[in-house]
Amino acid sequence: MQSQQTPAPSPWHSALHWLGRQLSNQSNPWAYLDPILGSINPMLVKGTVAARVVAIEDAARDTRTFVLKPAGHWSGFKPGQHLSLTVEINGARHTRTFSLSCLPSRWKQDREITLTIKRLPGGLVTNWLHDYLKPGAVVTLGDAFGDFLLPANPQPLLFIAGGSGITPILSQLSTLAAADYPKPVTLLYYVRTEADIIAAKELYQMEGQWDNFQLKIHTTDDGGVMTAAHLPAISKLADYHCYLCGPRGLMDLAGDLLGQAGVSESQISSTFFSAPQVTLDTDELGGEVAFSRSGKTVHSDGETSLLELAESAGLKPKHGCRMGVCHQCACTKKTGIVMNRLTGKASLPGEETIQLCVSVPQGPVDIVI
Amino acid sequence: MQKLNEQQLDALAKDLDAIRDEEMADVGEKDANYIRGIVRLHRTLEFGGRALMPLGFIPPFFIAGATSLGVAKILENMEIGHNVMHGQYDWMNDPTLNSQTYEWDTACDSDSWRLTHNYEHHTYTNILGKDRDYGYDVMRLDASQTWRPENLFQLANLGLLSFFFQWGVALHELEAQNLRQGKITFADKKEFGKALVKKGGRQVLKDYIFYPALTLPVAPVVIAGNFTANMMRNLWSSSVIFCGHLTDDAETFDQAECEGESRGHWYLRQLTGSSNFTGPQWVYTLSGHLSHQIEHHVFPDIPAHRYPALSKKVQKVCDKYGIKYNTGSFASQYASMVKRVAWYSLPNRFNLQARAEAKAEAKAAAEAAKAAPKARRAGPAKVSAKAA
Repeated sequence: MQSQQTPAPSPWHSALHWLGRQLSNQSNPWAYLDPILGSINPMLVKGTVAARVVAIEDAARDTRTFVLKPAGHWSGFKPGQHLSLTVEINGARHTRTFSLSCLPSRWKQDREITLTIKRLPGGLVTNWLHDYLKPGAVVTLGDAFGDFLLPANPQPLLFIAGGSGITPILSQLSTLAAADYPKPVTLLYYVRTEADIIAAKELYQMEGQWDNFQLKIHTTDDGGVMTAAHLPAISKLADYHCYLCGPRGLMDLAGDLLGQAGVSESQISSTFFSAPQVTLDTDELGGEVAFSRSGKTVHSDGETSLLELAESAGLKPKHGCRMGVCHQCACTKKTGIVMNRLTGKASLPGEETIQLCVSVPQGPVDIVI
Repeated sequence: MQKLNEQQLDALAKDLDAIRDEEMADVGEKDANYIRGIVRLHRTLEFGGRALMPLGFIPPFFIAGATSLGVAKILENMEIGHNVMHGQYDWMNDPTLNSQTYEWDTACDSDSWRLTHNYEHHTYTNILGKDRDYGYDVMRLDASQTWRPENLFQLANLGLLSFFFQWGVALHELEAQNLRQGKITFADKKEFGKALVKKGGRQVLKDYIFYPALTLPVAPVVIAGNFTANMMRNLWSSSVIFCGHLTDDAETFDQAECEGESRGHWYLRQLTGSSNFTGPQWVYTLSGHLSHQIEHHVFPDIPAHRYPALSKKVQKVCDKYGIKYNTGSFASQYASMVKRVAWYSLPNRFNLQARAEAKAEAKAAAEAAKAAPKARRAGPAKVSAKAA
């Protein structure tokens, strides 16, 4: 895993930051100035990274590529990484993770990046991005993250992508193509129909210009379900490094097939590109509750509140009234849906602030305590 | 005070829950724009005030600078800090407006405030012995509280607390009375003490060391200006807050009657234990909409700028159940609060006003008992008379 190193701040910077915290009462002193800076120009904010939408292009059916120009203090990315994108919908900020689909050199030279995003049936954020986000608008970005990275030394590569799981791989393939990668590279790309091929033009162009690259697109609606026959010859596979990105079903199948072909786990990098569950099949309460900061997982029967569950798991989250009044137990829900017993309403699936004492999980949830 | 039986309390809870659901369904972009507008106004006033202060040796600049900074502190404490920490804007998922991480521009550490105010005061509102906001340990406000000679001076305590309100609030978690009575020890309050020194020190550093040092030749003027701004904030916030629960007609409760209470009883306690005051919109804004203390106590996490509009609905519910909706002009509510502090500084037998009230209430209760003996047997919720 290659992780990004953040340089240690200089003593001068630390001292200024300390003074800023004393004067502003903000853990990030920039948040004190940002309301004024942002009202002059939203791109001027320093506490977060603003990005202006430069263009929006169709990439496939229900899929668009959003070209963004981040503010200068954004820290850049490596091919295969993701970032969190925050947009404001009816006053509330919503954060979702998307893969960077362009070449890192595009950021270095043109200060632009692209996110290729598919509409998710019923998804609030992806549909809003498609329907309402227009060029000129400003969104917020997080730092790039993820260890789905290219190998340090050249070796034959096999990429297996499904649907919109192609997006981080697009960035990796363009990088390899630009460097005229000396080893064989194969992409097995599974899509439902021809209309769902993301960045088809770029992929075919790459295939034509780059000798070491083999492109194989399978349309699953025509019976193109993955089989061992799609893989390179077993005799060669031992030298390969494999990259998997796609929906759970494909990832499991590909993992099994590679295992049967004798590929070891250390030869496989995968990034779980599961679309977050937007709605559940039932509105039944209960499910697996992961308290991710403390690394504990418990099962909810759908009756007990998250606060009581956390306490029964031996955690001591801050709390007060236990009746939804005081907000002492407010904390971050990373993913999953919870039902608020006070309002009887279900939450959205993404990252939100919730009250533990009146929330009951509806399906699997991840709570940051 | 109006007594409601359990069925009535359940119906009351249902009515108020319905108002809450309807209001929360409408919360969105306009609330986000409102609070961000107030944040921008606060920053502008604070920057403006700090920039004007060094010129404070010219009187109009002193007045402008101190007022600008004073109003900035008032807006930040009342309309931003207090309301954000109640979780009124948690739905925005904005880390700078998050109830659990917000830190405000006053000596009181936010974590301490969240404990003593959001949890203790809002959960146990006006329950004698549990809600330490009721008299702040320095004032006796109910006949059931034991009179002590020092209560004779409690009007002076009211004055002192008003002037040094930010320090009074900062020290609230110390539980001075419990310390005096030996119920807790200083060792129990070690963590609190550390937080107090850290946050209080930060406020002193800012207003009385850093900015004066930055403008050294005119440091005394800047110190005086910052002191004036802090005083403005102290006097105004304390007045607003005292008007919210300490007015003469605000009801108190004993611990036994609130043991295992229903949601309806909690609502009733909030409605009858709080009092509003009226005024122009700018006064509401500067009070952080605590001018509408009743609405705030019933719906502490609905964005506060909605309270004036909500008050009509809440008054209607009060009318329906015959609950007194305690409101009046700022001056009359303030005067009623001072009167209460003054009367209860005396032992009960000299407190002529309370005696007259107790007599009238006993008479009314006797008449009610005669008129409807059956209803009484059905079990009215027990509510203590203030001056029993």
